[in-house]
Amino acid sequence: MRISLFNVTATIEHGCRGFQKLGSSSFQGETARLLGAFSQIRAASGPSKGMLPGPYPQTPEERAAAAKKYNMRVEDYEPIPDNGEGYGDYPQLPDRSQHERDPWYSWDHPDLRRNWGEPIHWDFDMFIRNRVDTSPSPVAWHTMCKHLFGFVGFMLLMFYLGEKFPSYQPVAPKQYPYSNLHLERGEDPEKQPEEVKHFNI
Amino acid sequence: MADYREAPLATRPKTLDPAEYFNLSLDQRRAEEERAGLRAQLKRQYQMQLNNPHRKELIEDPALTRWVYARTNPYNHFRATKKTSLLGGLFGVVPLFVLYYVLKTDRLCLTP
Repeated sequence: MRISLFNVTATIEHGCRGFQKLGSSSFQGETARLLGAFSQIRAASGPSKGMLPGPYPQTPEERAAAAKKYNMRVEDYEPIPDNGEGYGDYPQLPDRSQHERDPWYSWDHPDLRRNWGEPIHWDFDMFIRNRVDTSPSPVAWHTMCKHLFGFVGFMLLMFYLGEKFPSYQPVAPKQYPYSNLHLERGEDPEKQPEEVKHFNI
Repeated sequence: MADYREAPLATRPKTLDPAEYFNLSLDQRRAEEERAGLRAQLKRQYQMQLNNPHRKELIEDPALTRWVYARTNPYNHFRATKKTSLLGGLFGVVPLFVLYYVLKTDRLCLTP
């Protein structure tokens, strides 16, 4: 086991030696990222072709090389199944969000709860702590579903019934004074207004 | 917590996983040790770069570079299968026709 660790160290150090530059590697990193967007053009600086993601591994040797590239154990490395959607040899990591990681461990990047060099999930930007949370819910899922849909369904039913069978205070047509506003309505002042009976006592 | 049942869309926390407490075979322990070894090597590299007093530039993360490259270049490994063709047609071709028809018939003349 000690020997295997040494081999791993040697491989990682050898592979990463290209990154320990004394020059302005931040600018070269930018260039590499910009040019990486145009797939056929790459600067001579930046990561070598062997360090970038490649096609789906067919042979066990390719698998071992890909596992080394991604800093994973050969047994842990499992590429995303090749269904033509363009994943290449990128590893399939568990779909756990960063909410589930230990908040008390001393991560290299505490807000992302990630260590430097750790393989990044394909949907990492979805699983950050501001977004999708896959941690277990405090109450059982079926209970939550029952409560929510029960309440919403009940309220919908009651509002529907209220629309169908309205209930309000008894109302009648509006009653006006001064003999049903006889003069205001422009009728003849000499003429006797007709009697309108609004109620019976 | 013996009756804990995980939700369909959530996961069981690692601390409630019985395999972590009961079935620790030698192989599993060796696997955990190897993983810890890899983690320790990466941590060491990062710390060496972080605390290097002569370092003037940003520490570049190769895992991040690989992730960005993989996400921006899926068409290198794209293949036209049934599923990808269906998705491409559904999202790229059908909306053109549907939108044309909908927008045309939505105008005042109400005819295409």
